[in-house]
Amino acid sequence: MATGIKDKVAIIGMGCSRFGERWDCGAEELIYEAFKEALADAKIERDQIEMAWLGLFFQEQSAGKSALPLSMTLRLPNIPVTRVENMCATGTEALRGAVYAVAAGACDIALAMGVEKLKDTGYGGLPERTKGTFDDLWLPNATAPGAFAQLASAYAAKHKVDMKDLKRAMAHISVKSHANGVLNPKAHLRKTITEDDALNAGVVAYPLGLMDCCGVSDGAACAIVTSVEQARAMGYKDFVTVKAMQLAPSNGFEMSNSGWDGSYLHTTRIAAQRAYAEAGIRNPREEISMMEVHDCFSVTELVVMEDLGIAPEGGAIKAVMDGMFDRDGEVPCQVDGGLKCFGHPIGASGLRMAYEMYLQLLGRAGDRQLASPSLGLTHNLGGHPFRNVASVSVFGLHA
Amino acid sequence: MSYGILSFGAYVPTMRLARSAIAEAVAWAVPSLKGLAKGERAVANWDEDSLTLAVEAGRDCLSGIDATIDNLQLASTTVPFADRSNSGVIADALLLPEGVTTEDLGGSRRAATSALVRLGLTQSSRSTLLLAADCRETKPGSTQEMNYGHGAAAILFGTGEPIAIVTGAASLHDDFIDQYREANIDFDYALEERWVRDEGYNKLVPKVVRAALANAKLDLSEIHRFVLPTSAATAKGVAKALKADPERFSDPLSANCGDCGAAHPLLMLAHALETAVPGEKILVIGFGQGADAIVIETTAHLANLQGTHGPQRYLAQKRLCKNYTMFLSLRNQLDIDFGIRSERDNRTSQSASYRRRKDITGMIGGRCSACNTLQFPRAQLCVKCSAVDTQVGTSLSGLTGRVKSYTEDWLAYTPLPPYIYGNVEFEDGANCMLEFTDFDPGQVKVDSTVRLVFRIKDFDAKRHFRRYFWKPAPLLNTKP
Repeated sequence: MATGIKDKVAIIGMGCSRFGERWDCGAEELIYEAFKEALADAKIERDQIEMAWLGLFFQEQSAGKSALPLSMTLRLPNIPVTRVENMCATGTEALRGAVYAVAAGACDIALAMGVEKLKDTGYGGLPERTKGTFDDLWLPNATAPGAFAQLASAYAAKHKVDMKDLKRAMAHISVKSHANGVLNPKAHLRKTITEDDALNAGVVAYPLGLMDCCGVSDGAACAIVTSVEQARAMGYKDFVTVKAMQLAPSNGFEMSNSGWDGSYLHTTRIAAQRAYAEAGIRNPREEISMMEVHDCFSVTELVVMEDLGIAPEGGAIKAVMDGMFDRDGEVPCQVDGGLKCFGHPIGASGLRMAYEMYLQLLGRAGDRQLASPSLGLTHNLGGHPFRNVASVSVFGLHA
Repeated sequence: MSYGILSFGAYVPTMRLARSAIAEAVAWAVPSLKGLAKGERAVANWDEDSLTLAVEAGRDCLSGIDATIDNLQLASTTVPFADRSNSGVIADALLLPEGVTTEDLGGSRRAATSALVRLGLTQSSRSTLLLAADCRETKPGSTQEMNYGHGAAAILFGTGEPIAIVTGAASLHDDFIDQYREANIDFDYALEERWVRDEGYNKLVPKVVRAALANAKLDLSEIHRFVLPTSAATAKGVAKALKADPERFSDPLSANCGDCGAAHPLLMLAHALETAVPGEKILVIGFGQGADAIVIETTAHLANLQGTHGPQRYLAQKRLCKNYTMFLSLRNQLDIDFGIRSERDNRTSQSASYRRRKDITGMIGGRCSACNTLQFPRAQLCVKCSAVDTQVGTSLSGLTGRVKSYTEDWLAYTPLPPYIYGNVEFEDGANCMLEFTDFDPGQVKVDSTVRLVFRIKDFDAKRHFRRYFWKPAPLLNTKP
């Protein structure tokens, strides 16, 4: 009988590069920047790492396929390294691989590294890419903002809200994340914006304006994990453990069946329920201290608040405007600045979110430290609302 | 049951360019064009070509008609493919069976009328859907740019209850070069209008008309309408030469369409049939290096199709293209800098495309025989009940959809920004994310109803290929 991952695995070290337009760095330098920090944090030697997972999405844009970008860059001593890719959940998937390996007892110490070098395309936004030989024949050549913008049109129609009110809540989300990003020296965008700035920004994909969109940047983040028993044996005292790691990919329901109305994220709801069950969370709104969700666009964060069961269905606009997810709110969200201010180097994002939860739980978040958080949730949404991969993870202090 | 014309159809793109916009833009170079700056001309959207225009005319012709098609013919001087059966693509788009013979006719503006002569004079047990379409590009500042339009028409021949029968026809060949276009050249080269009128129309048309009338055993005075695709002024001259009543010459559709080349005689005929009464004798003329003339007599069955077939509903639907540079860009004559995103490589895997050709070209999804759920694309396992191998091919192309979500995307590349796409719901659970066409910004709403039209999905400029698929467009007769 499976018992889930709760409290089986300890995170003993994490690292995160500075995110941004790192014109001076390739994927390799970003990997090393994050790794150096994690190794020092864990106080272990490189050769103690027995297995590794690398998360990288646009391999064709940067370091290439396979395990090699990681094993070559870090000169790893021929240990098993696996590259994983699961769209925007890629970083979390790298962590899941490492976590499961130490939980299974396959090794004592494993590394999860996520990296993405996006700013070598020569143009803004995410790189153009093929969707596969068949889908290219019929699917629109949608951009991420265009695909996610539709959450807003469908949400406004379903809940009969004026687009102006929805846009104002979306603006509040961006204003809040920018305020958080200012406090974070590793964030890409570090300046405050006003609600008017957000509302008056040029339209990217109706109804999303520029300030509703996350940045596009380069970055890497990583985690070093071991089993809880091993962590104790190695002398770690206060450490963060994994409480839940769940993943739910679409099966075509949203894309091909009229049962989905386009106003919510079906897979996020499923992943959240599984994660809460795995972590033993009964009332997420009360038990979760803080969240890093997939705020690729402001409207995504808004609907995700409902999909995670933090805001009631149809109640996200009010919860946002009431400040529930602000730094001083009931459940602070994107306390590090989020994708909004970090940008979204795809392979790195899931691990960057975990990094903030890790720092906050250990009380090491500096200027942006929250008062004694106990459980932190991370969420990724890969792909587009109509077909995607959703991950929900929960981290907490060692019980 | 007799042989004759069983149905007719037409299609004119909704995009119109005011001729004054052309005249104003080029006045510095060609001030004389001002004299032609009346009304509007039809302009194919960036995703339309002769092939897609013909598909729409074919759908119009076949709507509500229960007929087996044996032959499919496409008459055009501007087919997109020189070697790939254009009519074969159309056959799949119109869901015609594999055994239908497909023929591309071209090389002359008379391609359609010559086929009409042949089909009219040769009684056949086989039915033929004759499509005619032209999408001729024109040199900026030319009279062709003013006078041409883009459009298509269709005539269905077969045995049944004809709406009209052909009572006589004639053809004559004469290498009179009023205008020409060498293969692989973009634009027509046209000679002086006065010479074309005096030596061409005024001499060749009366000759072929008399031959057709003799064949039909009719007197000129018995003809109720003349369908002659030319300017009103030239038609007047021909009427004089024939000693016919100029009032009997049909409207050349210059006010809101323009001359659609090989399609124009059929388009004008379709327009005439929209209002013709039973027993009306119509003489259709094709001109170009000779002339064709076909005498048609309508029957009482015509009334069954009036109001639901023909160009009037398309002509009534209009999006004004006010900007001349936009017109040039849509027709690929102005290389706007759309940025690096527009460099995306649209290479088609032909083997992958071939496996799913019917699904893509016919918008064929699957209807699960276990739970009746309709889905696109079809798959081995049902999206609703997971039953295996239960999906029966069912086309969605004729269905009306409802918009569930949409966006107007200014980041994505499209030749006519914004790139509008969204989630569309069809009957029996079907749901599809699709690229929209023919909508203006601000026009699509959640719950808008849409119809599907066959369009170019994208171009592969590197390998000179284009892909087609279906897109939601505004319903006919609904004002934006």
